[in-house]
Amino acid sequence: MEGRAVERVVIVGGGTAGWMTAAALAHRLQGLPISVTLVESEEIGTVGVGEATVPHIRFFNARLGIDEADFMRRTSATFKLGIEFRNWGRKGDSYIHPFGVFGEEIEGVPFHHLWARFARAGGRDPVEAFSLPVLAARMDRFAHPDPDPDSLLSTYSYAYQFDAGLYAAYLRAYAEARGVRRVEGRVVGAPLQGETGFVESVVLQDGRIIVGELFIDCSGFRGLLIEQALQAGYEDWSHWLPCDRAVAVPCRSDAPLSPYTRATALDAGWAWRIPLQHRVGNGHVYCSSHISDEAARDALLGQIEGEPIAEPRFLRFTTGRRHKQWDRNVVAIGLAAGFLEPLESTSIHLIQLAVGRLLDHFPDRDWDPFCAREYNRLMDLEYERVRDFLILHYHATERDDTPFWNQVRTMQVPDSLAHRLETFRKRGVVVNYRDGMFLDASWIAVYLGQRVIPETSDPRGEVLSDAGLMLRLASMRDEYAQMASQLPKQNAFLERIGAHVG
Amino acid sequence: MSGDAAVTSVAIAGSGLAGWLAASLVARALPDLAITVTETPGPDRSLGVTTAAEILLPDDLLMLGEAGWNGPDLLRECRAGFLLGTALTGWRADGAAAFMPFGEIGAPLGPVPFHQLVSTQRRRGEAVNLANYSIGALAAQAGRFAPPPPGDETAHSALAFGLCVDTQRMAAMLREDALERGVQLTGALSDADLVIDASGPDSRFAGAREDWSAWFPFDRVASARRSSEAPPPPYVHCDAHAAGWQSFAPLADGVGELFVFASADAPGAPPAEPFAPGCEVAAWTDNVVRIAGAAAQHDPVSGLQLHIALADVLRLIALFPATRELAAEAAEYNRQWREQTDCAFDAALLRLARTGARGAVWDRLRASPLPERAGYRHDLYAANGRIVLHDGEVLDEAGWIAQFDALGVQPRKGDALADALPSERIAAHFAAIRQAMIAAVGRMPPYQALLAQAVA
Repeated sequence: MEGRAVERVVIVGGGTAGWMTAAALAHRLQGLPISVTLVESEEIGTVGVGEATVPHIRFFNARLGIDEADFMRRTSATFKLGIEFRNWGRKGDSYIHPFGVFGEEIEGVPFHHLWARFARAGGRDPVEAFSLPVLAARMDRFAHPDPDPDSLLSTYSYAYQFDAGLYAAYLRAYAEARGVRRVEGRVVGAPLQGETGFVESVVLQDGRIIVGELFIDCSGFRGLLIEQALQAGYEDWSHWLPCDRAVAVPCRSDAPLSPYTRATALDAGWAWRIPLQHRVGNGHVYCSSHISDEAARDALLGQIEGEPIAEPRFLRFTTGRRHKQWDRNVVAIGLAAGFLEPLESTSIHLIQLAVGRLLDHFPDRDWDPFCAREYNRLMDLEYERVRDFLILHYHATERDDTPFWNQVRTMQVPDSLAHRLETFRKRGVVVNYRDGMFLDASWIAVYLGQRVIPETSDPRGEVLSDAGLMLRLASMRDEYAQMASQLPKQNAFLERIGAHVG
Repeated sequence: MSGDAAVTSVAIAGSGLAGWLAASLVARALPDLAITVTETPGPDRSLGVTTAAEILLPDDLLMLGEAGWNGPDLLRECRAGFLLGTALTGWRADGAAAFMPFGEIGAPLGPVPFHQLVSTQRRRGEAVNLANYSIGALAAQAGRFAPPPPGDETAHSALAFGLCVDTQRMAAMLREDALERGVQLTGALSDADLVIDASGPDSRFAGAREDWSAWFPFDRVASARRSSEAPPPPYVHCDAHAAGWQSFAPLADGVGELFVFASADAPGAPPAEPFAPGCEVAAWTDNVVRIAGAAAQHDPVSGLQLHIALADVLRLIALFPATRELAAEAAEYNRQWREQTDCAFDAALLRLARTGARGAVWDRLRASPLPERAGYRHDLYAANGRIVLHDGEVLDEAGWIAQFDALGVQPRKGDALADALPSERIAAHFAAIRQAMIAAVGRMPPYQALLAQAVA
């Protein structure tokens, strides 16, 4: 059986997905008789809009042995404590979905129950007054979390905002140093074996043929192997997430470095702002049946804070996922596997998950169908869960000022999400699942931030009188505010750890 | 506007272990509630089938600890024994005994899980016994035990243990606690905002029920408590016989025995209580929450009756209705309960239906197709040793591995990356684990002396 091992892995497409996959394979397969080849063409641009990440990326980097300060310097990275959502629940609203928890539980009762009661009883402090990462983010402050679980500074996590192109280049150097072979060339074909229908090789424009046993399709939306060669099929989710285009433009900025991403709801979509050390990434995700490309571009240019440093670039996509992300001997990773808009910075995380799962279910040449079947089951769940979380942002709104918002506010959402919303609205209970990417605190942040305030709370909290609750929360609030104001500005912190660019 | 009013009264139907567990824990969590318990005569079927001994899993001890019930009290009051796992005899086709310990088995080598290393070595012709790499199994075998000291960083820290409690003593302990907290005992069910039905499978509140008899052939149970001079060893012994199975659970001063069989396959068997595996379609309807045996009757083979009852009570407390308008709480309770019920169904079915046990009933079980979800769990493990985990699991990943392995289910293939590791490297890893575990067990005191001190 050991003679049936996969010996040649071929990755089609560079970019974030291709090089993250290559780097992880190079690390994990080191010392094994398995070669990894990555084919990419310099003529084909990468999408690379996923410049903001979630905290899991730190574990990906750590596993590869990547030094944080070095990586941040070379990718022009900033720290990220969360995402600010503007104008989502109502125009004029602003809340931050932080990588961290709100408040502390009292007598086993989760904090948000106490806060909801406090708010119903006339308490004025918003829930963000009880979140260290939100307070720090609002003041552009950052420090690493404290490993001491008793410290308030242990109540949050963090991620990065970086230049995805530089990150891919960084991982390329890493992977090539560990034996990954890079082939420059444009893939023009992928012949299948007659009997099995498996991909046999990829054919380049200049006639070269690259053979392999396992192929990883990181070719982006086109899905060169998974769709064009294998026709795995695509499940369209645009009835729930109707945005289908984006326009992106970077700009200069003199503003202080914010340790958070911003997502501002516009008339027919939303705009991102991702502050890096050397520039700010901006983009507008929109629904083409509600706004023209020109109007979308103008809306974006009208709202960026500095001089654009490149021409606006347009992208088209269909939200959804491949019916089979792993089909025969092809595993699709990144945009080739599916597309979910970057509202919660999930693109890079989904790549990371896919690579990890592929290594967990690494096949041999007997192609046990259970490898692909279990991989697909797990990845399908991940995509559906992220999808539901994204739909929540659009659906939990009071906005009725444009046809777009009327459509998403009144649409029928998946049953699983309808149950979640109802359970939180009525009783403040967060319906969640095992190993979900978004923990309770994330759901709470979006519910409360978008005005889904529980009508009732956990009766165990009633042991505290209203007055007692007010006092407890007031002292908690002061403690959070004081702690946050003592953190260094992000700029100073980057310099201190040697992560500052030039 | 009565819908907006708070729930101020609770009536618990059934004075068995499930009823008193609910009474004590609800009274502790919500001290302002007026709670009554209706006395029910006869044997305690509140958990499902009547037992002399019940099992608290390692996690259950943490949960009870948070509710204010700590280990030393439980040990003393419930005449409990420590529990490190279950020994199986008669379950494998090769006739070998097996041990299913609590807790992790072995340790991964880099990113490769331990059981995949084992699978690789076995396919290379090495005989590897999983239990040789479980500190719990080794301690049980050596007759030594001590809870891991706080901050311990040796192999001892991986030792996971549960307790085996005397069912009646635990009910009595909880009853005393509940009454001290003002819970009232009544003859008839009182009017209340919320009814907790803890009266077992023959409940007067029984609604539409799912029948599982097509999958679970065992329908008779007899239980007994046998006393012993010395404490029995810290594991459950479960033996498969021609018409069913029998288990022996270790208390501090005796053994709780359970004898379960299929009446169709044991014509001459002594009289025993009938039971019928199945569950309610919905555990919580209107203002009645059915818990434990009143909601689901599992085949007791997994020893999870008390675990499930505790999970039901804790779920009810976490979702305790804020007002008498309680549809949202009921919907979420039912969702979570159903998840757990399905997982417990799978765990019991896979424990019984894919074994090497001998007898006509076991042959029939092996020959019948599995329902889709359980079938996928089994087929995936049999294909490559991977474990499916759903939201409501009653076994953790290590528990599933231990169960499949103990029953003799062998993956056809394993982790392709484990297969790339040289045999010597894996063998050296195994030897290092075993050595550290044996050294840690050697430092533990003899089990009997420790238990005698704990329950004194």
